[in-house]
Amino acid sequence: MGQYTDVFIEGILTTLALAGICLVLSIFFGIFLALMRRSSNPFVWRSAAAYIQIIRSTPLLIQIYLIYYGLPLLIGNYFGEEATAIIALTIHSTPYMAEIIRAGIQSIDRGQSEGGMSVGMSKPQTMFYIVLPQALANVIPPLLGQTAVLIKDTSLFSIIAVFELMGAGLRMYSETVIATESYVTTAACYLLIYMMMLIFSNMTQKWLGGGAWQTAH
Amino acid sequence: MDYIIDKYQLFIDLLPLLMKGLLMTFEVSILSILIGSLLGFLFGILRTLGNKIITNTIGLYLHIFRGTPYLVQLYLIYFVLPSFDVEFLKFDSFTAAIVSLSLYTSSYVTEIVTSAINAVPKGQSEGARSVGMSRFQSLYHIVIPQALKLSIPPMSGVYVIIIKSTAVLSVIGISELTRQGEIAILRLPGNLMFIYLLIAVMYFIYCYPVLRFASWAEKRYGSIGVDPE
Repeated sequence: MGQYTDVFIEGILTTLALAGICLVLSIFFGIFLALMRRSSNPFVWRSAAAYIQIIRSTPLLIQIYLIYYGLPLLIGNYFGEEATAIIALTIHSTPYMAEIIRAGIQSIDRGQSEGGMSVGMSKPQTMFYIVLPQALANVIPPLLGQTAVLIKDTSLFSIIAVFELMGAGLRMYSETVIATESYVTTAACYLLIYMMMLIFSNMTQKWLGGGAWQTAH
Repeated sequence: MDYIIDKYQLFIDLLPLLMKGLLMTFEVSILSILIGSLLGFLFGILRTLGNKIITNTIGLYLHIFRGTPYLVQLYLIYFVLPSFDVEFLKFDSFTAAIVSLSLYTSSYVTEIVTSAINAVPKGQSEGARSVGMSRFQSLYHIVIPQALKLSIPPMSGVYVIIIKSTAVLSVIGISELTRQGEIAILRLPGNLMFIYLLIAVMYFIYCYPVLRFASWAEKRYGSIGVDPE
Protein backbone atom coordinates (compact mmCIF):
# COMPACT_ATOMS: atom_id res chain seq x y z
CA MET A 1 0.00 0.00 0.00
CA GLY A 2 2.73 2.45 0.97
CA GLN A 3 4.09 2.81 -2.53
CA TYR A 4 0.69 3.90 -3.78
CA THR A 5 0.29 6.80 -1.34
CA ASP A 6 1.54 9.28 -3.95
CA VAL A 7 -0.78 7.84 -6.60
CA PHE A 8 -3.80 8.29 -4.35
CA ILE A 9 -2.77 11.78 -3.24
CA GLU A 10 -2.42 12.75 -6.89
CA GLY A 11 -5.83 11.21 -7.55
CA ILE A 12 -7.48 13.13 -4.71
CA LEU A 13 -5.92 16.39 -5.88
CA THR A 14 -7.04 15.83 -9.49
CA THR A 15 -10.56 14.97 -8.35
CA LEU A 16 -10.72 18.11 -6.19
CA ALA A 17 -9.27 20.28 -8.97
CA LEU A 18 -11.69 18.93 -11.58
CA ALA A 19 -14.65 19.32 -9.24
CA GLY A 20 -13.53 22.81 -8.18
CA ILE A 21 -13.22 24.11 -11.74
CA CYS A 22 -16.57 22.58 -12.70
CA LEU A 23 -18.20 24.02 -9.57
CA VAL A 24 -17.11 27.59 -10.38
CA LEU A 25 -18.06 27.27 -14.06
CA SER A 26 -21.41 25.62 -13.42
CA ILE A 27 -22.48 28.16 -10.79
CA PHE A 28 -21.43 30.98 -13.15
CA PHE A 29 -23.37 29.54 -16.09
CA GLY A 30 -26.12 28.34 -13.74
CA ILE A 31 -26.92 31.94 -12.75
CA PHE A 32 -27.41 32.86 -16.40
CA LEU A 33 -29.40 29.73 -17.12
CA ALA A 34 -31.64 30.46 -14.11
CA LEU A 35 -32.21 34.01 -15.38
CA MET A 36 -32.95 32.66 -18.87
CA ARG A 37 -35.41 30.20 -17.37
CA ARG A 38 -37.20 33.09 -15.63
CA SER A 39 -37.24 35.23 -18.78
CA SER A 40 -40.63 36.31 -20.14
CA ASN A 41 -39.51 35.74 -23.73
CA PRO A 42 -41.00 32.33 -24.63
CA PHE A 43 -38.14 31.43 -26.95
CA VAL A 44 -35.54 32.09 -24.24
CA TRP A 45 -37.25 30.34 -21.36
CA ARG A 46 -38.41 27.40 -23.45
CA SER A 47 -34.93 26.69 -24.79
CA ALA A 48 -33.51 27.00 -21.25
CA ALA A 49 -36.19 24.62 -19.95
CA ALA A 50 -35.54 22.15 -22.78
CA TYR A 51 -31.82 22.14 -22.01
CA ILE A 52 -32.50 21.56 -18.31
CA GLN A 53 -34.94 18.70 -18.97
CA ILE A 54 -32.74 16.97 -21.54
CA ILE A 55 -29.73 16.98 -19.24
CA ARG A 56 -31.77 15.82 -16.26
CA SER A 57 -33.32 12.91 -18.19
CA THR A 58 -30.15 11.38 -19.64
CA PRO A 59 -27.32 9.62 -17.78
CA LEU A 60 -24.05 11.48 -17.22
CA LEU A 61 -22.15 8.57 -18.77
CA ILE A 62 -23.94 9.01 -22.11
CA GLN A 63 -23.33 12.76 -21.96
CA ILE A 64 -19.63 12.14 -21.35
CA TYR A 65 -19.45 9.76 -24.32
CA LEU A 66 -21.32 12.18 -26.57
CA ILE A 67 -18.99 15.04 -25.68
CA TYR A 68 -15.83 12.93 -25.64
CA TYR A 69 -16.47 11.53 -29.13
CA GLY A 70 -18.70 14.26 -30.53
CA LEU A 71 -16.78 17.41 -29.65
CA PRO A 72 -13.71 16.53 -31.77
CA LEU A 73 -16.07 15.79 -34.68
CA LEU A 74 -17.87 19.09 -34.27
CA ILE A 75 -14.85 21.32 -33.75
CA GLY A 76 -12.25 19.19 -35.49
CA ASN A 77 -9.92 19.70 -32.59
CA TYR A 78 -9.07 17.36 -29.75
CA PHE A 79 -8.76 18.90 -26.29
CA GLY A 80 -7.42 16.04 -24.24
CA GLU A 81 -9.22 14.07 -21.55
CA GLU A 82 -9.10 16.59 -18.72
CA ALA A 83 -10.54 19.46 -20.76
CA THR A 84 -13.23 17.16 -22.18
CA ALA A 85 -14.07 16.03 -18.65
CA ILE A 86 -14.42 19.62 -17.45
CA ILE A 87 -16.62 20.56 -20.41
CA ALA A 88 -18.84 17.50 -19.96
CA LEU A 89 -19.28 17.90 -16.22
CA THR A 90 -19.95 21.63 -16.54
CA ILE A 91 -22.61 20.99 -19.17
CA HIS A 92 -24.06 18.29 -16.90
CA SER A 93 -24.18 20.19 -13.62
CA THR A 94 -25.14 23.67 -14.87
CA PRO A 95 -28.88 22.77 -15.06
CA TYR A 96 -28.87 21.38 -11.52
CA MET A 97 -27.20 24.55 -10.23
CA ALA A 98 -29.63 26.66 -12.27
CA GLU A 99 -32.65 24.95 -10.71
CA ILE A 100 -31.26 25.54 -7.22
CA ILE A 101 -30.46 29.19 -7.97
CA ARG A 102 -33.89 29.68 -9.52
CA ALA A 103 -35.52 28.40 -6.34
CA GLY A 104 -33.32 30.86 -4.44
CA ILE A 105 -34.39 33.80 -6.61
CA GLN A 106 -38.04 32.81 -6.14
CA SER A 107 -37.61 32.74 -2.38
CA ILE A 108 -36.68 36.45 -2.30
CA ASP A 109 -39.57 38.73 -1.41
CA ARG A 110 -40.92 40.89 -4.24
CA GLY A 111 -40.51 43.93 -2.01
CA GLN A 112 -36.75 43.61 -2.42
CA SER A 113 -36.75 44.11 -6.18
CA GLU A 114 -39.57 46.68 -5.97
CA GLY A 115 -37.47 48.59 -3.45
CA GLY A 116 -34.46 48.43 -5.76
CA MET A 117 -36.49 49.71 -8.68
CA SER A 118 -38.04 52.49 -6.62
CA VAL A 119 -34.63 53.96 -5.72
CA GLY A 120 -33.91 54.22 -9.46
CA MET A 121 -32.00 51.01 -10.14
CA SER A 122 -32.47 49.36 -13.53
CA LYS A 123 -33.83 45.81 -13.72
CA PRO A 124 -30.39 44.16 -14.18
CA GLN A 125 -28.99 46.28 -11.36
CA THR A 126 -31.72 45.15 -8.94
CA MET A 127 -31.09 41.56 -10.00
CA PHE A 128 -27.32 41.64 -9.55
CA TYR A 129 -27.01 43.94 -6.52
CA ILE A 130 -30.18 43.16 -4.55
CA VAL A 131 -31.82 39.85 -5.45
CA LEU A 132 -28.96 37.54 -6.49
CA PRO A 133 -26.70 38.07 -3.44
CA GLN A 134 -29.58 37.21 -1.10
CA ALA A 135 -30.74 34.35 -3.29
CA LEU A 136 -27.28 32.76 -3.39
CA ALA A 137 -26.83 33.12 0.37
CA ASN A 138 -30.16 31.36 0.88
CA VAL A 139 -29.32 28.37 -1.31
CA ILE A 140 -25.84 27.60 0.03
CA PRO A 141 -27.05 24.35 1.70
CA PRO A 142 -28.45 22.76 -1.49
CA LEU A 143 -25.49 24.12 -3.47
CA LEU A 144 -23.13 22.33 -1.08
CA GLY A 145 -25.19 19.17 -1.49
CA GLN A 146 -24.92 19.47 -5.25
CA THR A 147 -21.17 20.00 -4.87
CA ALA A 148 -20.93 16.66 -3.07
CA VAL A 149 -22.77 15.07 -6.01
CA LEU A 150 -20.38 16.84 -8.39
CA ILE A 151 -17.35 15.39 -6.61
CA LYS A 152 -18.84 11.89 -6.80
CA ASP A 153 -19.69 12.38 -10.48
CA THR A 154 -16.02 12.92 -11.34
CA SER A 155 -15.50 9.19 -10.68
CA LEU A 156 -17.09 8.43 -14.06
CA PHE A 157 -14.16 10.12 -15.79
CA SER A 158 -12.01 7.10 -14.99
CA ILE A 159 -13.95 5.43 -17.85
CA ILE A 160 -12.53 7.92 -20.38
CA ALA A 161 -9.05 7.51 -18.87
CA VAL A 162 -8.80 10.70 -16.84
CA PHE A 163 -6.48 10.00 -13.95
CA GLU A 164 -8.47 10.97 -10.86
CA LEU A 165 -9.23 9.20 -7.56
CA MET A 166 -11.14 6.30 -9.13
CA GLY A 167 -8.39 6.08 -11.76
CA ALA A 168 -5.84 5.78 -8.94
CA GLY A 169 -7.79 2.82 -7.55
CA LEU A 170 -8.02 1.22 -10.98
CA ARG A 171 -4.28 1.66 -11.55
CA MET A 172 -3.44 0.06 -8.20
CA TYR A 173 -5.78 -2.81 -9.03
CA SER A 174 -4.29 -3.36 -12.48
CA GLU A 175 -0.75 -3.38 -11.07
CA THR A 176 -1.26 -5.38 -7.86
CA VAL A 177 -4.45 -7.35 -8.68
CA ILE A 178 -5.57 -6.94 -5.05
CA ALA A 179 -9.17 -5.78 -5.39
CA THR A 180 -9.84 -5.32 -1.67
CA GLU A 181 -7.08 -2.85 -0.90
CA SER A 182 -7.39 -0.93 -4.16
CA TYR A 183 -11.11 -0.30 -4.00
CA VAL A 184 -11.46 0.02 -0.23
CA THR A 185 -8.74 2.68 -0.29
CA THR A 186 -10.57 4.49 -3.09
CA ALA A 187 -13.82 4.39 -1.13
CA ALA A 188 -12.03 5.62 2.01
CA CYS A 189 -10.55 8.56 0.09
CA TYR A 190 -14.00 9.55 -1.21
CA LEU A 191 -15.38 9.28 2.33
CA LEU A 192 -12.54 11.53 3.53
CA ILE A 193 -13.51 14.19 0.97
CA TYR A 194 -17.17 13.75 1.95
CA MET A 195 -16.33 14.20 5.64
CA MET A 196 -14.42 17.38 4.90
CA MET A 197 -17.45 18.62 2.97
CA LEU A 198 -19.71 17.85 5.95
CA ILE A 199 -17.42 19.71 8.34
CA PHE A 200 -17.21 22.65 5.93
CA SER A 201 -21.00 22.64 5.58
CA ASN A 202 -21.45 22.74 9.36
CA MET A 203 -18.92 25.57 9.66
CA THR A 204 -20.69 27.71 7.03
CA GLN A 205 -23.93 27.00 8.84
CA LYS A 206 -22.49 28.53 12.00
CA TRP A 207 -20.99 31.52 10.16
CA LEU A 208 -24.11 32.47 8.21
CA GLY A 209 -27.05 31.16 10.22
CA GLY A 210 -29.68 32.79 7.96
CA GLY A 211 -33.33 31.97 7.43
CA ALA A 212 -32.91 29.11 4.99
CA TRP A 213 -30.56 27.34 7.36
CA GLN A 214 -33.32 26.60 9.82
CA THR A 215 -34.90 24.08 7.46
CA ALA A 216 -31.67 22.82 5.92
CA HIS A 217 -30.18 19.50 6.84
CA MET B 1 -32.46 12.76 -48.40
CA ASP B 2 -30.20 9.79 -48.94
CA TYR B 3 -28.68 10.53 -45.58
CA ILE B 4 -32.03 10.36 -43.84
CA ILE B 5 -33.01 7.10 -45.55
CA ASP B 6 -29.60 5.68 -44.66
CA LYS B 7 -29.97 6.60 -40.98
CA TYR B 8 -33.55 5.38 -40.91
CA GLN B 9 -32.46 1.99 -42.23
CA LEU B 10 -29.72 1.92 -39.60
CA PHE B 11 -32.26 2.79 -36.92
CA ILE B 12 -34.52 -0.08 -38.03
CA ASP B 13 -31.55 -2.47 -38.00
CA LEU B 14 -30.42 -1.43 -34.56
CA LEU B 15 -33.83 -1.28 -32.93
CA PRO B 16 -34.08 -4.95 -31.81
CA LEU B 17 -30.63 -4.79 -30.19
CA LEU B 18 -31.31 -1.51 -28.42
CA MET B 19 -34.81 -2.53 -27.36
CA LYS B 20 -33.29 -5.58 -25.71
CA GLY B 21 -30.98 -3.21 -23.85
CA LEU B 22 -33.81 -0.91 -22.86
CA LEU B 23 -35.74 -3.90 -21.54
CA MET B 24 -32.74 -4.92 -19.43
CA THR B 25 -32.37 -1.35 -18.15
CA PHE B 26 -36.07 -1.43 -17.29
CA GLU B 27 -35.78 -4.79 -15.53
CA VAL B 28 -32.70 -3.87 -13.48
CA SER B 29 -34.05 -0.45 -12.50
CA ILE B 30 -37.52 -1.68 -11.51
CA LEU B 31 -36.13 -4.59 -9.45
CA SER B 32 -33.63 -2.37 -7.62
CA ILE B 33 -36.20 0.35 -7.06
CA LEU B 34 -38.61 -2.18 -5.53
CA ILE B 35 -36.06 -3.87 -3.26
CA GLY B 36 -34.32 -0.60 -2.41
CA SER B 37 -37.56 1.17 -1.57
CA LEU B 38 -38.70 -1.61 0.76
CA LEU B 39 -35.31 -1.62 2.48
CA GLY B 40 -35.21 2.17 2.68
CA PHE B 41 -38.76 2.30 3.98
CA LEU B 42 -37.87 -0.13 6.77
CA PHE B 43 -34.67 1.77 7.68
CA GLY B 44 -36.51 5.09 7.54
CA ILE B 45 -39.11 3.94 10.07
CA LEU B 46 -36.51 2.29 12.32
CA ARG B 47 -34.53 5.52 12.29
CA THR B 48 -37.44 7.54 13.71
CA LEU B 49 -38.23 5.13 16.56
CA GLY B 50 -35.78 6.90 18.85
CA ASN B 51 -33.37 4.07 19.67
CA LYS B 52 -29.94 5.77 19.74
CA ILE B 53 -27.95 2.73 18.57
CA ILE B 54 -30.24 1.98 15.62
CA THR B 55 -30.42 5.65 14.61
CA ASN B 56 -26.64 6.02 14.65
CA THR B 57 -26.00 2.76 12.80
CA ILE B 58 -28.41 3.75 10.04
CA GLY B 59 -26.87 7.23 10.01
CA LEU B 60 -23.42 5.70 9.44
CA TYR B 61 -24.83 3.48 6.69
CA LEU B 62 -26.30 6.55 4.98
CA HIS B 63 -23.04 8.48 5.24
CA ILE B 64 -21.09 5.61 3.67
CA PHE B 65 -23.48 5.32 0.74
CA ARG B 66 -23.95 9.06 0.26
CA GLY B 67 -20.22 9.74 0.57
CA THR B 68 -18.94 7.39 -2.14
CA PRO B 69 -19.72 7.39 -5.86
CA TYR B 70 -21.97 4.63 -7.14
CA LEU B 71 -19.16 3.40 -9.41
CA VAL B 72 -16.98 2.73 -6.34
CA GLN B 73 -19.83 0.90 -4.58
CA LEU B 74 -20.32 -1.24 -7.66
CA TYR B 75 -16.63 -2.15 -7.79
CA LEU B 76 -16.65 -2.93 -4.05
CA ILE B 77 -19.62 -5.26 -4.37
CA TYR B 78 -18.56 -6.91 -7.61
CA PHE B 79 -14.81 -7.27 -7.07
CA VAL B 80 -14.13 -7.00 -3.33
CA LEU B 81 -16.91 -9.07 -1.75
CA PRO B 82 -15.96 -12.29 -3.65
CA SER B 83 -12.44 -12.06 -2.21
CA PHE B 84 -13.81 -12.77 1.28
CA ASP B 85 -14.22 -16.40 0.24
CA VAL B 86 -17.81 -16.64 1.41
CA GLU B 87 -19.87 -18.62 -1.08
CA PHE B 88 -22.93 -16.43 -0.52
CA LEU B 89 -21.07 -13.23 -1.47
CA LYS B 90 -19.81 -14.47 -4.83
CA PHE B 91 -22.26 -12.59 -6.98
CA ASP B 92 -22.57 -12.90 -10.72
CA SER B 93 -22.73 -9.57 -12.49
CA PHE B 94 -26.53 -9.37 -12.54
CA THR B 95 -26.88 -10.06 -8.81
CA ALA B 96 -24.07 -7.61 -8.05
CA ALA B 97 -25.88 -4.98 -10.09
CA ILE B 98 -29.20 -5.55 -8.30
CA VAL B 99 -27.59 -5.66 -4.83
CA SER B 100 -25.50 -2.53 -5.30
CA LEU B 101 -28.28 -0.57 -6.94
CA SER B 102 -30.81 -1.61 -4.26
CA LEU B 103 -28.48 -0.53 -1.47
CA TYR B 104 -27.85 2.74 -3.30
CA THR B 105 -31.61 3.29 -3.68
CA SER B 106 -32.23 2.47 -0.03
CA SER B 107 -29.80 5.18 1.10
CA TYR B 108 -31.88 7.82 -0.68
CA VAL B 109 -35.24 6.36 0.33
CA THR B 110 -34.27 6.12 4.02
CA GLU B 111 -33.49 9.82 4.08
CA ILE B 112 -36.81 10.67 2.40
CA VAL B 113 -38.95 8.44 4.61
CA THR B 114 -37.29 9.82 7.75
CA SER B 115 -37.93 13.42 6.67
CA ALA B 116 -41.49 12.59 5.65
CA ILE B 117 -42.26 10.99 9.03
CA ASN B 118 -40.71 13.95 10.81
CA ALA B 119 -42.74 16.33 8.63
CA VAL B 120 -46.03 14.88 9.89
CA PRO B 121 -47.10 17.23 12.72
CA LYS B 122 -46.47 15.82 16.20
CA GLY B 123 -50.09 16.48 17.16
CA GLN B 124 -51.11 13.65 14.83
CA SER B 125 -49.33 10.90 16.75
CA GLU B 126 -50.10 12.52 20.11
CA GLY B 127 -53.77 12.58 19.15
CA ALA B 128 -53.64 8.94 18.13
CA ARG B 129 -51.99 7.97 21.43
CA SER B 130 -54.52 9.97 23.43
CA VAL B 131 -57.45 8.06 21.94
CA GLY B 132 -55.83 4.86 23.15
CA MET B 133 -53.87 3.63 20.16
CA SER B 134 -50.61 1.85 20.79
CA ARG B 135 -47.38 3.28 19.41
CA PHE B 136 -47.44 0.79 16.57
CA GLN B 137 -51.09 1.53 15.79
CA SER B 138 -50.52 5.29 15.68
CA LEU B 139 -47.53 4.77 13.39
CA TYR B 140 -49.35 2.32 11.16
CA HIS B 141 -52.78 3.98 10.93
CA ILE B 142 -52.02 7.68 11.36
CA VAL B 143 -48.41 8.70 10.70
CA ILE B 144 -47.24 6.42 7.87
CA PRO B 145 -50.22 7.04 5.52
CA GLN B 146 -49.62 10.78 5.75
CA ALA B 147 -45.86 10.39 5.45
CA LEU B 148 -46.21 8.22 2.35
CA LYS B 149 -48.11 10.97 0.58
CA LEU B 150 -45.38 13.48 1.42
CA SER B 151 -42.67 11.16 0.17
CA ILE B 152 -44.11 10.69 -3.34
CA PRO B 153 -42.49 13.73 -5.03
CA PRO B 154 -38.89 13.21 -3.80
CA MET B 155 -39.24 9.45 -4.36
CA SER B 156 -39.91 9.97 -8.08
CA GLY B 157 -36.78 12.13 -8.21
CA VAL B 158 -34.78 9.24 -6.73
CA TYR B 159 -36.16 6.83 -9.29
CA VAL B 160 -34.83 9.04 -12.08
CA ILE B 161 -31.40 9.01 -10.42
CA ILE B 162 -31.51 5.21 -10.19
CA ILE B 163 -32.57 4.78 -13.82
CA LYS B 164 -29.71 7.01 -14.89
CA SER B 165 -27.26 5.12 -12.66
CA THR B 166 -27.98 1.88 -14.52
CA ALA B 167 -25.84 3.25 -17.37
CA VAL B 168 -22.81 2.69 -15.13
CA LEU B 169 -23.61 -1.04 -15.04
CA SER B 170 -22.18 -1.32 -18.57
CA VAL B 171 -18.69 -1.40 -16.97
CA ILE B 172 -19.38 -4.79 -15.36
CA GLY B 173 -20.88 -6.16 -18.57
CA ILE B 174 -24.62 -6.09 -17.87
CA SER B 175 -26.21 -5.96 -21.32
CA GLU B 176 -28.34 -2.91 -20.63
CA LEU B 177 -28.95 -0.01 -22.98
CA THR B 178 -25.49 1.58 -22.81
CA ARG B 179 -23.73 -1.75 -23.19
CA GLN B 180 -25.92 -2.75 -26.15
CA GLY B 181 -25.08 0.58 -27.74
CA GLU B 182 -21.37 -0.08 -27.25
CA ILE B 183 -21.80 -3.48 -28.90
CA ALA B 184 -23.58 -1.82 -31.83
CA ILE B 185 -20.72 0.67 -32.08
CA LEU B 186 -18.15 -2.13 -32.22
CA ARG B 187 -20.01 -3.42 -35.27
CA LEU B 188 -20.63 -0.02 -36.88
CA PRO B 189 -17.88 2.33 -35.62
CA GLY B 190 -18.72 4.90 -38.32
CA ASN B 191 -22.11 5.62 -36.74
CA LEU B 192 -20.83 6.22 -33.23
CA MET B 193 -22.47 9.60 -32.69
CA PHE B 194 -25.78 8.48 -34.16
CA ILE B 195 -25.91 5.44 -31.88
CA TYR B 196 -25.04 7.39 -28.76
CA LEU B 197 -27.67 9.99 -29.63
CA LEU B 198 -30.19 7.19 -30.13
CA ILE B 199 -29.35 5.80 -26.69
CA ALA B 200 -29.68 9.26 -25.16
CA VAL B 201 -33.14 9.60 -26.73
CA MET B 202 -34.17 6.20 -25.32
CA TYR B 203 -33.07 7.16 -21.81
CA PHE B 204 -34.92 10.43 -22.25
CA ILE B 205 -38.11 8.60 -23.21
CA TYR B 206 -37.83 6.48 -20.05
CA CYS B 207 -36.83 9.25 -17.61
CA TYR B 208 -38.76 12.28 -18.78
CA PRO B 209 -42.25 11.05 -17.81
CA VAL B 210 -40.96 10.18 -14.32
CA LEU B 211 -39.44 13.66 -13.99
CA ARG B 212 -42.69 15.26 -15.11
CA PHE B 213 -44.58 13.11 -12.62
CA ALA B 214 -42.18 14.28 -9.89
CA SER B 215 -42.87 17.94 -10.56
CA TRP B 216 -46.60 17.29 -10.88
CA ALA B 217 -46.59 15.39 -7.57
CA GLU B 218 -44.68 18.18 -5.89
CA LYS B 219 -47.42 20.64 -6.84
CA ARG B 220 -50.08 18.17 -5.72
CA TYR B 221 -48.61 16.88 -2.44
CA GLY B 222 -46.21 19.69 -1.52
CA SER B 223 -42.50 19.65 -0.79
CA ILE B 224 -40.82 18.49 2.40
CA GLY B 225 -37.53 20.12 1.53
CA VAL B 226 -35.69 16.97 0.50
CA ASP B 227 -34.52 17.32 -3.06
CA PRO B 228 -32.60 14.18 -3.99
CA GLU B 229 -31.26 15.70 -7.19
